[in-house]
Amino acid sequence: MIRTVSALLVAVVLLLLTGIAHGDHPVTIGDLVSVLIRSAGANPQIEMIVLDLRMPRVLFALLVGAALAVAGAIAQAVMRNPLAEPGILGINAGAALAAMILIVAFDTAPITLLPWAGFAGASAMVATIYILSWRNGTTSLRIILIGIGLSALAGAATTSLTVFGEIRDVQRAMIWLAGSVYHANWSGVQVLALWLVAPLLLAFMSARELDLIRFGDSAAQSLGQRVNLARALMILLCTLLSGAAVAAAGLISFVGLVAPHMARRLVGPSHAKLIPASALIGAALVMAADLVGRTIIAPAQLPAGLVTALIGAPFFAYLLWGRRHVAA
Amino acid sequence: MNGSKGLVAEDVSLAYGRTVVVEDLDLAVPAQAFTALIGPNGSGKSTILRTLAGLLVPKKGSILLDGSPISRLSAKETARRIGVLSQGPLAPEGLTVLDLVRQGRYPHRSLFGRWSVEDDAACEAALTLTGMGELADRPLDSLSGGQRQRAWIAMTLAQETSILLLDEPTTFLDLAHQIEVMDLIADLVATRGKTVVAVLHDLNQAARYADHMVMLKDGTIAAVGRPETVMTAATIQTVFGVAAVIMADPVAGTPMCVPIGSSDRAKGRGCQY
Repeated sequence: MIRTVSALLVAVVLLLLTGIAHGDHPVTIGDLVSVLIRSAGANPQIEMIVLDLRMPRVLFALLVGAALAVAGAIAQAVMRNPLAEPGILGINAGAALAAMILIVAFDTAPITLLPWAGFAGASAMVATIYILSWRNGTTSLRIILIGIGLSALAGAATTSLTVFGEIRDVQRAMIWLAGSVYHANWSGVQVLALWLVAPLLLAFMSARELDLIRFGDSAAQSLGQRVNLARALMILLCTLLSGAAVAAAGLISFVGLVAPHMARRLVGPSHAKLIPASALIGAALVMAADLVGRTIIAPAQLPAGLVTALIGAPFFAYLLWGRRHVAA
Repeated sequence: MNGSKGLVAEDVSLAYGRTVVVEDLDLAVPAQAFTALIGPNGSGKSTILRTLAGLLVPKKGSILLDGSPISRLSAKETARRIGVLSQGPLAPEGLTVLDLVRQGRYPHRSLFGRWSVEDDAACEAALTLTGMGELADRPLDSLSGGQRQRAWIAMTLAQETSILLLDEPTTFLDLAHQIEVMDLIADLVATRGKTVVAVLHDLNQAARYADHMVMLKDGTIAAVGRPETVMTAATIQTVFGVAAVIMADPVAGTPMCVPIGSSDRAKGRGCQY
């Protein structure tokens, strides 16, 4: 366990450094070190590239990835479904709809409102799904089914809005939705980091509740868990994490699904290990996706969300294939 | 409040939605004995078991644990005193036997309390008692049905409760594993002083192993008492609607039920009964 986590940490740090060094203007290790230790002889142009452009961007990717992955681990435990991810709670669809409404209906609204609208949309969607699935308590299956239904509805609403929108506005919304970390800056990194600290810690401390809730309502209840309360709190954590990630970076798909699975392969099913391992893997995935996206067809850039989808879709197929003999 | 010991159902009625499943049930579970709940499908056995565990809230009446209503206890407090094994439980993929058994310690741990020596000892004891010690590190998916069932029983034992409620612990097991699980239960009662209530399907196994039988029909108690008094041709006829011969089990001497079907009648068999 310690070895695996250390290896993951090393991978994350290496990706961090590679992410800073690579790009349109290569930065040598020497340059990098002199900038990082803030030596007086550092080239001001390189300093600007490293400190103001690339560093916030890789850190932003790191935070977004960790949040998505932990939210995914929570969703899979609460829904007791290995194919679950935060999107099942309607987070993506809600954020997309809210963003589209903001851009199309209030075209004078400042672009800085976009993340907040996204988060509000995501939260409203989760709340609606949760309330609709409540009938003397909820069940995971009801949440999943209502989640799928409402997400489809919100998706339809989003698409219809694009018909009425100014083409330039719609394109702006689409770019935001594609999921990227281009626009990262230090203040964004700070806000996101502050926002995520508490939910990430709480998720880690809830490992025992997550371990138990996977056993099903009846077993968990008979072992003394207040299942409905635990589930509501976990869904809240999941919303805080993935809602913030979506608001910050748009829809970066598949990380929430794939990272917990990779983590489970490495450290097993216990959440005390699974949560930190998922966070590191998610961070690495989004950093790597952004790195690939901005170098593979440079100087043009692919949004990170597109790259994760390209990697994630085959992985999803592989998961299904691997489970073809498991009884449903 | 009569201050009686153990687990008691007082004037309990239960309903799913508007369908009343159990009406005016009074049932005292004998302490440190093995009680078998018997009855046809849909007679309310599992429902009553879940209610005794405090998992279902009765529409009327109450469940008393050592004289006080179970509804006043917290979920964890209840779980420290009553262990429940549901019917056909499912574990998440990739879990080992030990991972499962450790879950039994949940009600004993405070919110952020660390894993303790007592927790380890309880898991160890539960594994030894069920003979699962050597399989502790094996994934559950790789075990046979009987081993998996013993692993689940080990988990409820790790809870260290004096009362165990088991819902069909032998269903879907082959004969050897059924006997294995029944022996384990009888041993828990005889040597550990546990109070066990189990929903069982096999009448003869129930009569052989249980100290006390509760025969249910349509949510009411049709017969209750020692196997010899409960297992009569008359009760089998009223409860299951099947004619039967009751004879002594050649091994244990307990009552054994031999049913007579219409094909037997057609062949002229069993007419003397």
